[in-house]
Amino acid sequence: MINPPPKRPSFAFVLGKSGAYAVLIVGLIGTLLPFFYIIVSSLKTTAELRQTPPDFFPKQPTFEHYTTILQDKDIPIAQNLANSVFVSVMRVVITLFTSSYAGYIFAKYHFKGKNLAFGIILIQIMIPFQVVMIPNYLLTVKLGLIDSLWALIVPAFIDAYGIFMMKQFIEALPAELMDAARIDGASEFGIYSRIVLPQMGPPLASLGIFTFMATWNDYLWPLIVLTSPEKRTIPLLVVWFQTAHVSNQGLVLAASILTLLPIFVVYIFLQRWIVDQATSSAFK
Amino acid sequence: MAFNTLFKKDLVTETGKLTAKQRRFAYASLTPILLYMGVFTLFPILWAVVMSFFSYSPIREGSGFLGLGGANPFIDIDNYIELFTGTSKPAEVFRLALKNTFIFTALVLPLNLLVTLPLAVILESIGERFKTLFRAIYFLPTISSSVALVIIWSYVYAPGWGLLSLMFKAIGLVPPKSWLQDPSLVYFGVPLAMICVVIAHVWQDFGYNLVIFVAALQSIPKTLREAARVDGANAWQEFWLVVVPLLRRTVLLTSVLTVISSLQVFVIFQLLTRGGPKNQTQTLLLSIYENAFKFANNLGLSAAMSMVLFIIILTLTIIQFRLLRTEWEY
Repeated sequence: MINPPPKRPSFAFVLGKSGAYAVLIVGLIGTLLPFFYIIVSSLKTTAELRQTPPDFFPKQPTFEHYTTILQDKDIPIAQNLANSVFVSVMRVVITLFTSSYAGYIFAKYHFKGKNLAFGIILIQIMIPFQVVMIPNYLLTVKLGLIDSLWALIVPAFIDAYGIFMMKQFIEALPAELMDAARIDGASEFGIYSRIVLPQMGPPLASLGIFTFMATWNDYLWPLIVLTSPEKRTIPLLVVWFQTAHVSNQGLVLAASILTLLPIFVVYIFLQRWIVDQATSSAFK
Repeated sequence: MAFNTLFKKDLVTETGKLTAKQRRFAYASLTPILLYMGVFTLFPILWAVVMSFFSYSPIREGSGFLGLGGANPFIDIDNYIELFTGTSKPAEVFRLALKNTFIFTALVLPLNLLVTLPLAVILESIGERFKTLFRAIYFLPTISSSVALVIIWSYVYAPGWGLLSLMFKAIGLVPPKSWLQDPSLVYFGVPLAMICVVIAHVWQDFGYNLVIFVAALQSIPKTLREAARVDGANAWQEFWLVVVPLLRRTVLLTSVLTVISSLQVFVIFQLLTRGGPKNQTQTLLLSIYENAFKFANNLGLSAAMSMVLFIIILTLTIIQFRLLRTEWEY
């Protein structure tokens, strides 16, 4: 006689499944609660922010801190936002060009000293920023770039990671297309710009997004090379707020959320792709 | 046949000519890139190494190349001797910072793995739609501005009315008067402020390792796990005997990367605790920064500090590359 399938495993299975979701949801709350807390706090009035003990939710939500930092003439937030956008866009455009161009050369050309040249570029990955931070600062002084937004752009013309990523991708492109273009009389640069570049949408997009996020969030280097208030980028503005406006916490909160916002907007649309890219680039 | 040979021959000479042209193009393109690398990567590295053997201040005129010499004299390895045996304030802070950096890293790595490994296993076992959603949310802190996250955590750790104190009170516990500023609060030899920073950093950073582990788990072929099942393994055995051994290399590599990045954490130490209380959260990078840009007395000493950090990271990087080179196939 065949025994009926036991009921208990399915019970254990259900228990395991709900246990799994319970753990995941606890993790979810732990991740989101701090974000959520400062978002609701930023909508409190100044009086409510000073109240002890505080309420979790604001009684009368208000956007006054946001309108204050956006309208106060003493706070050059529009200028600071423009600085962050300018530096980020410049760095994205330059990185995409230099990475894809150098990646193309390394992927598709054979010449003496290629490995040496690639090795020199890879040194950049091996050297932590902190090691060259002091000489880079002195170099920036010598180049007359201190307190200029170009101090954030010029030292970032070449991105070794970017070159590496693009090289990997271009190596997989078929050589036939390039040979065909050559026979048709295309110049070598023309092959890059008209044959290779149009096929590089996805890797360029992911490199662009990661460069944008890194530049937007960058703090230590801007802190070292930028000094005047109207040159600051957004993270520097937030820090200045935190030290200068201790009495008005609402402004600090509103400024922090404005810093997070652009990245969150990008992330909402591209989250799946960003996470996949971050995963796959980790081990290359 | 004849046509074929002719064609082949043509192609060979054609290719020959093209290679010369291509080579010229490659050299012309790479020359500016390598010159740039020379100025902005190689030269600064050498400069940092050389500077670490000088007593150097940019305020002093000095003589010779880069102002190294004259008023900024060559002092052999005195900067290094000073760092490890000296009694000056920067040297003492440095040794403390070195110790704190190791403590921080030693706490971050196990805590990170303790959170990410089980979470990854659970996450991998659930349905595709929820998996994507959870993964996206867990990853959120890693893409956020560290500065904004420090503001968030200053609200969590605010004394008295902070989120954490409120939660303590809500479950009937008495929170400490201050989470980040009382140097006398030390648990198991670790200052409370350091524990708080470790937690905040792991919260900010765990998303990376999590998504890597989920991907690694997904890449284990289903057939291997099914084979184990067919051979009579239960879920527990399947996990420990099949999944864990296959995950070993990923965990090892991820651990090295986590250690390297922990050694370079800056924002949270500079803004949340400012190295305090009583230098209990002073770290290597923060000392390098403060010595070079806040106190700015002897940049040679700061350069020597950065060399110490460099040697530690370089050793780890070499280990990482060794690990990457070992091929692994399922």
